[in-house]
Amino acid sequence: MKATKKTLQGRGITSGCCKGTAVVSEKPLSFLGGVDYNSGVVIEKNHDLKGESLKDKVLCFPSGHGSTVGSYVLYSLVKKGLGPKAIVNQVADTVVVVGAIIAEIPMVDQIDIKQIKTGAIIEVDGDKGTVKVKGEVE
Amino acid sequence: MLDGENGWANQVAMKILVRLGDLYGATKLIPVQSAHLSGVSYKHLGDAAIDFLNELADKGGRAQTQASLNPSSLDQKFLGKRYSKERFAKQARIIELYEKMCIQPTLTCTPYYLQKPRPGQHLAWAESSAVVYANSVLNAWTNREGAPSALAAALVGKTPNYGVHQPENRRPNVLVKLETQLSTEADYGTLGIHLGKLLKDKIPTFKGLRDSEDDLKQLGAAMASSGMTALFYTRPPNKKERLEFMSVKARDIEEAASSLCTTDQPPDLVFIGCPHCSINEMKSVANVLEGKKVRKDAELWVCTSRYVKERAKKYVGVIECAGGRVLCDTCVLVTWIKDIGVHKLMTNSAKTAFYAPTLNDVDVALKQCLKTVCRN
Repeated sequence: MKATKKTLQGRGITSGCCKGTAVVSEKPLSFLGGVDYNSGVVIEKNHDLKGESLKDKVLCFPSGHGSTVGSYVLYSLVKKGLGPKAIVNQVADTVVVVGAIIAEIPMVDQIDIKQIKTGAIIEVDGDKGTVKVKGEVE
Repeated sequence: MLDGENGWANQVAMKILVRLGDLYGATKLIPVQSAHLSGVSYKHLGDAAIDFLNELADKGGRAQTQASLNPSSLDQKFLGKRYSKERFAKQARIIELYEKMCIQPTLTCTPYYLQKPRPGQHLAWAESSAVVYANSVLNAWTNREGAPSALAAALVGKTPNYGVHQPENRRPNVLVKLETQLSTEADYGTLGIHLGKLLKDKIPTFKGLRDSEDDLKQLGAAMASSGMTALFYTRPPNKKERLEFMSVKARDIEEAASSLCTTDQPPDLVFIGCPHCSINEMKSVANVLEGKKVRKDAELWVCTSRYVKERAKKYVGVIECAGGRVLCDTCVLVTWIKDIGVHKLMTNSAKTAFYAPTLNDVDVALKQCLKTVCRN
């Protein structure tokens, strides 16, 4: 564990603050059809997070895509304790924004997510629009 | 309202509208005349949405404006009897939750036949084919809402004033010149599929388009499926504006048509009514079927709203006499046709031809299909 510290400044989308382990994707993600409603595991074909559980993670990915019904999937996963704790996007899209609002989890966008590695402990502040990278697993 | 004095449901709905408004550059919320909601079919929604709708309805969510619903995954009389009890119950539950929130169970993608919006009225409609029809044929004003944002607009009675709610965002930016004749509704839809891919969210205006409202419905529905069209014009603007130019030749339509057909085998099911049929379309179908019989090895479904069916009784009688079925509250795209043995679908709707291979996992042929489905 290397104790690097950096603060990335983005834009707060939904308020709240939380700390957790990052799971980072290079690909857009569709919650409808892309994440299993009963387990919180990514099932989208050819996705770099396929097989990964989102439970209690800070989910970092470029942007959402797909059906607007995807917002409801994010809501249900969080309510059942199977969803991510917070979301970091490069570009916020409607599906994910609405999902984060109704699931009541913090969300920040306009972050260069390449600066975050899977496994890093990060702190998302949806009010200040910041992502603090606390430590990185090398 | 944002602080929750009107209950959790309204607070959440407000948050959705305000946040989306911030993201897309709205300056305020404006009242809407009506909201039309997608997100009704259990096939698409799944169980996740039931959880959310349940919490909203429980915690005081009630529509503050006239609100209507898109088609569901089944109708009670016909498809409801062909699926599992669980599917039937889940679909009924979804509709019941919307009704609890004072949202009308119209179950049609053509709410404009039930109540026609007036020119200049602001709406918050999901269902992309209804959005493009409202903006382009009726000159009402609505963005392409998603299922949750249209629901939020229904519960608050307002929408953020970005996008095509602003006059400056309603100007055309592409002039499309038609250098070929379109004869059937399938041709109009095929043109729409071709253009939607090229235009994405640009606003086209047409030169050389002879139009009926039903043909424009097919054109708009298709553009909104392969692209993100919310608005088009049927004649060039009076003012000289700088427009991008695009021409459409016979070959473009032929190529788009062949890309939409994945089979030339005889169909298991012939489907008319995407978007749901107008009274005039019911009449056209009845005129072709008069005195004929549907083949024994295929089904014919004609989908429409309960409202139109009620007003087209004469035509419904002719269609049923020929062995076809007039279904309300549903359509092919939002139901499980493969589970009831349909593998090859034939339709006159380019929107259905565009979506069915992925949404329904069936092969599709786009044609003037009534002659095919009748016995010789």
